[in-house]
Amino acid sequence: MIALLVGGVLGWSGSTKLFGRNTPVQASGTVLERKLGGLPRATAALRAVGAAELLVALALVALPVPLVTGALAALAGTGFAAYLGYARATAPDSSCGCTARDKAPIGVRAFARAGFVLAGGAVVLAEGLAAAGLPAPAGGPWWEALRDRPGAALGLLAAGTALAWLLFGDPDRAVRLPLRRLRLRLFGHPLHGGAGPGGDPEAVPVEGSVELLERSLAWQTVIHVVRSGLREHWDDEGWRFLRYTGLYDTGPDGAGGTGRPVSVVFAMDAKAGLDSPRPPVIRVGAVDEETGERVDVTAGRERPGALLGEGV
Amino acid sequence: MNDATGSTFDRRRFLSASALGGATVVGATALGAVDPDAAFAAPTPPLDPAVAATSFAEGLITGIDGGTLLHVKGSYGERHRIQLTNATSIWKLHPTTADDVESGDGLYARGLEMPDGTIAADAVWVNIVNLDVTVRGIGKDRLALGYHGGELIGRIVPGRSTASYAGAALTDDLSGVRMGQHALVLGAWRPKDGAVDIARITVGH
Repeated sequence: MIALLVGGVLGWSGSTKLFGRNTPVQASGTVLERKLGGLPRATAALRAVGAAELLVALALVALPVPLVTGALAALAGTGFAAYLGYARATAPDSSCGCTARDKAPIGVRAFARAGFVLAGGAVVLAEGLAAAGLPAPAGGPWWEALRDRPGAALGLLAAGTALAWLLFGDPDRAVRLPLRRLRLRLFGHPLHGGAGPGGDPEAVPVEGSVELLERSLAWQTVIHVVRSGLREHWDDEGWRFLRYTGLYDTGPDGAGGTGRPVSVVFAMDAKAGLDSPRPPVIRVGAVDEETGERVDVTAGRERPGALLGEGV
Repeated sequence: MNDATGSTFDRRRFLSASALGGATVVGATALGAVDPDAAFAAPTPPLDPAVAATSFAEGLITGIDGGTLLHVKGSYGERHRIQLTNATSIWKLHPTTADDVESGDGLYARGLEMPDGTIAADAVWVNIVNLDVTVRGIGKDRLALGYHGGELIGRIVPGRSTASYAGAALTDDLSGVRMGQHALVLGAWRPKDGAVDIARITVGH
């Protein structure tokens, strides 16, 4: 029975690698791609592995010589484990390329898969040994087991298939996600507007104000001074203030001299966002951090007059 | 800064006044809806000589001297020293101060390299991550995010987490996030539990 199970798994995984259209996708990001020098070679290597897997699978399912087929499967499992160990050691963040959808870095699951094949091969091998008269648990080809004790054989097959599905399939996608979807459908979307009960539904998050600011002419006008990210923000009387720090170069052409640290403060309607019907007005001021004097950071910029509509 | 009566202005009030008091008033749209002329005059960000010399550093903070000098071990083994100044903006999910920066945090810094090799930082982003994810679960205070074959917890932080939907302004209303959606998450990684505090989730773009 085990031979049929391992053969099925290897046949499925081998044929998807050998004939699958997305084998190149599967090969991308694996250690093979890095070590063999390119995706085409890695893809070819993966297809070759697939062909080998398929041959082992066919042998396991069709040949009544468990001594040979079991050894082959165990060898394949050992090979996989060795490959995973090597990949894990040399390129820990690479994916294993084992199954098409799984782009996860090599982890416990990948090793468990190799272990599954290895253990299955070992069991078949043991059956072969027993058949050859050597000390080992008794057994014959899977069709004999199915004929002699169909109940136990089918039960074993079902349990093994479930295990294989857990290891090789995507149980998460098949079970967990539908359950979560069902919960959303039954209980509704748990997220509501961030304002919450009692909050202001028109309130714009600070990030929204920053987004608006960074697309504005005001920003374009003083970006040569601003050197930091947002330092602080506060709301006052309907205005929202955003403070940045900057370096204002007092040199004659703006390139020489020493920079003076300044605070650049923007003021805008606290409820203005990119969705606002009218383009809001943004006011800018700069203050020398040390002296506290107002600084005209737009002085000497090209065509400041065209940019700055006085007293809009 | 003193006013006529000699009392000290509240600092923020003063800064507010500096923004409001000036004649420097600009329409907010780059398309120049106020003044068509302005659209054509809009300059591209200048190639400031100081900006060209900007240095970047990233890595894990291994130690902090005096609260402001960060020792950083880069991803490729290189070492950096990052000097925080009183002009440095520090982001750790939101604008914050140097007190919030801890050993073991990840860091991304931009600044100027000093003659002694220290980088004087203009801006520091602590634990910032930008992840390409799939929304795999939606809860009251968290999202389950499919990332790299595994699953991450994305925590929704009230008052901080925002959503960006295609063609719309940023909002703190996350109710438009759907199961199975592909999303970009900008957030702060939490070294303690490996979860990510969501600053912005971008979907449908």
